[in-house]
Amino acid sequence: MIVLDKVDKVFPGSNIPAVKQVSFQVDEGNICVFVGPSGCGKTTILRMINRLIEPTSGDIYIKGKKVSDKGLNPDHLRREIGYVIQQIGLLPHRTVEQNVALVPYLLKWPEENIKPRVRELLDMVGLDPDEVAQKYPFQLSGGMMQRVGVARALAADPPIMLMDEPFGAVDPIVRGRLQDEFLRLQKEMKKTICFVTHDINEAIKMGDHIVIMNKGELVQHGTPMEILSEPANSFVKDLIGTEREIKLLELTKSGEIVNKKAEIPETVRQKDCFISVIDPVQRALETMMKKDSDLVGVRDKDQEIGTISWNDIKKLINKLSGDA
Amino acid sequence: MIFASSILQWAGNIYEKYFGFVDFIIRRSERVVEYTANHFSLVITVMFFSLILWISVGLLISRYEKLANTAFGIGNILFVIPSISLFGIFITIPMLGLGRTSAALALILYAMMPMVRNVYRGIKSVEWPIIEAGRGMGMSPKQILFQIQIPIAWPIIFAGIRVTTVMITGIATVATFIGERNLGRFIHHGIARESADMIIAGAVLVSVIAILLDYILGKVEYKITSPGLRKEQEQS
Amino acid sequence: MDFEMERFISALIDRSPPHALVHLQLVLIPVIVAFLIAFPVAVLLTRRRFMRYTDRVMTFFNMGQTIPPLAIIAVFFPFLGLGMEPALFALTIYALLPIARNTLAGLKGVPQEVKEAARGIGMSEWEMLMRVEIPLSMPVVMAGIKISVVLTSGTAALGALVGAGGMGAVIFAGIDFFRAELIIAGTLVIGAIAIVLDRILSVIDNKLTPPHMKM
Repeated sequence: MIVLDKVDKVFPGSNIPAVKQVSFQVDEGNICVFVGPSGCGKTTILRMINRLIEPTSGDIYIKGKKVSDKGLNPDHLRREIGYVIQQIGLLPHRTVEQNVALVPYLLKWPEENIKPRVRELLDMVGLDPDEVAQKYPFQLSGGMMQRVGVARALAADPPIMLMDEPFGAVDPIVRGRLQDEFLRLQKEMKKTICFVTHDINEAIKMGDHIVIMNKGELVQHGTPMEILSEPANSFVKDLIGTEREIKLLELTKSGEIVNKKAEIPETVRQKDCFISVIDPVQRALETMMKKDSDLVGVRDKDQEIGTISWNDIKKLINKLSGDA
Repeated sequence: MIFASSILQWAGNIYEKYFGFVDFIIRRSERVVEYTANHFSLVITVMFFSLILWISVGLLISRYEKLANTAFGIGNILFVIPSISLFGIFITIPMLGLGRTSAALALILYAMMPMVRNVYRGIKSVEWPIIEAGRGMGMSPKQILFQIQIPIAWPIIFAGIRVTTVMITGIATVATFIGERNLGRFIHHGIARESADMIIAGAVLVSVIAILLDYILGKVEYKITSPGLRKEQEQS
Repeated sequence: MDFEMERFISALIDRSPPHALVHLQLVLIPVIVAFLIAFPVAVLLTRRRFMRYTDRVMTFFNMGQTIPPLAIIAVFFPFLGLGMEPALFALTIYALLPIARNTLAGLKGVPQEVKEAARGIGMSEWEMLMRVEIPLSMPVVMAGIKISVVLTSGTAALGALVGAGGMGAVIFAGIDFFRAELIIAGTLVIGAIAIVLDRILSVIDNKLTPPHMKM
């Protein structure tokens, strides 16, 4: 869907390239997360995809079309790409409704289609249209503003979204909630998303695919599992930090290691020590500790399908972290 | 009875001494109307050209940063020149001489500083993320100027228009010394004839007009400011 | 514009000096008096007891600034007669606002945490004002005085109308006789007075400003 081919970017007045020979591909319907320290070039890549800045050399393709084509008006290109930034940039002199309707207005949608669309979008991002539509940005909390920012980017239903630390300006609790809701939305929308963050945990949680950047260069890319289980070098290891095993457990669904043959002992039932197959393995560990048991039962909806033991988890950790 | 009449007499004296100008205004109402009309037609002419000229210059220097310092330098120098000098210099230019063109040109130059400064400040007050978001949504530079920058800057620009209008109304009085027949003339002739009533009539009329104008434009300023911006201003 | 260098130089050297001296008085006296009024008033207005009057007093000062300078100068003339007094009164009123406004802004700009810290080490309100708030707000106050000086040097040219003399006398003579040389000479001297005073204030400012706040 989005392809970068040997892209370089050198900003005028600087001799150190901000982005060096970066190539990769984002598949349709995936969230691709760019992660790295500030100044690593991740935002620069994002802004080159919708041509807010132009690459010094190399090519960028969207759906097989070169974005730098002379015939393509960059303003028109951008109207087809949702864009969310950390500072949000809501227009302070316009109401929430007018903010969300910005791109539909630019695309000259008929007036009667815009209002219902705005209500639908506000509803989608978890805001009550009756309550917020006529408010001005300064009347909203940080979390609400972020939601409006996402709604605005989604307004014209663009197939591609670029998100630059979209949940960076809110406190951790709100951030977690926004991430969960966005992932739920994405399940239905199936957008192709480029997502920038400096937080490796957010990258692991949000990404189908992770691109790790440092000093303008692409260091490693792959699924979160690949990155966690086989960090390419010490930079990636440091970025992942100390809790690698726990992060791996967060990524693995209980269903993957459930022992389906095992009987569920009476003690587990007495202590009500159960988790669901879609819970991460980490939940199994937590439940064991909380209920003081070395075995948890696993349910698929209401059906009891097997158990996970402390030994099963140890085996998983050994397998995942292996030689790393 | 005697007491009451002496109070009346005392009040009468006070009135004669300090409020003689009211009589003067009533007696010379025709002149008052003529001078007021002249005064306003000059102010309106000046503001018309100032708006076109200085808003354009303000927008220009907010785009081409290098010009900004030059423009502010010129504006500052113009602002330090006493109004009477600026009028005077214009009348010694042969093509212009005594008359409205000289008066208007001097006042237009005076309007430069407050107008240009406020347009520039207003446009610069638009925070970067807002413009970045606008560009990211696919707004053209023209749309960004007319739908984001100018509307957000508008309260500050209008504040500049308000200050300038009031200031020009005040300085226009000085143009009486280069032949303008406006409210400054009562003061001018009043001083020459040592007529307190005439001076006070002129001073009071022009002060009341300036204060009223400031008040009315202040109300307009509040009305035309988007509620979304109003709150921000109150907080800052 | 016919411009004769000789006449210009004579206006500058022979004619201007006595008027310049008067003009200097017409600037210095009003600015000093305005400072002596506006500074304490502004300091009082930032004290907790008087804070609620701030808006009203500033509206009053603002209105003073709205009134045209010619009107203010003229209006004192019938009461104080010909001479320097009406001009001095009017110019003082005119010089008040920038000083008051900047003193208020300067005092309000002192960071809350600095004041907390000062209170924390046991300073009384008076000590805090003298040792923390006023020194820290000095640059802004000085900027206000400078604005006042520039405004007053220009406006003082109108003083000649009520017989106060000053460089206005040279300029008005130029207007009466259509002599650009006189007008330009008068304007340059006024400019010079404004610049010299501004420089002197900068030196004072430099002495008063705490070293770490210098830019």
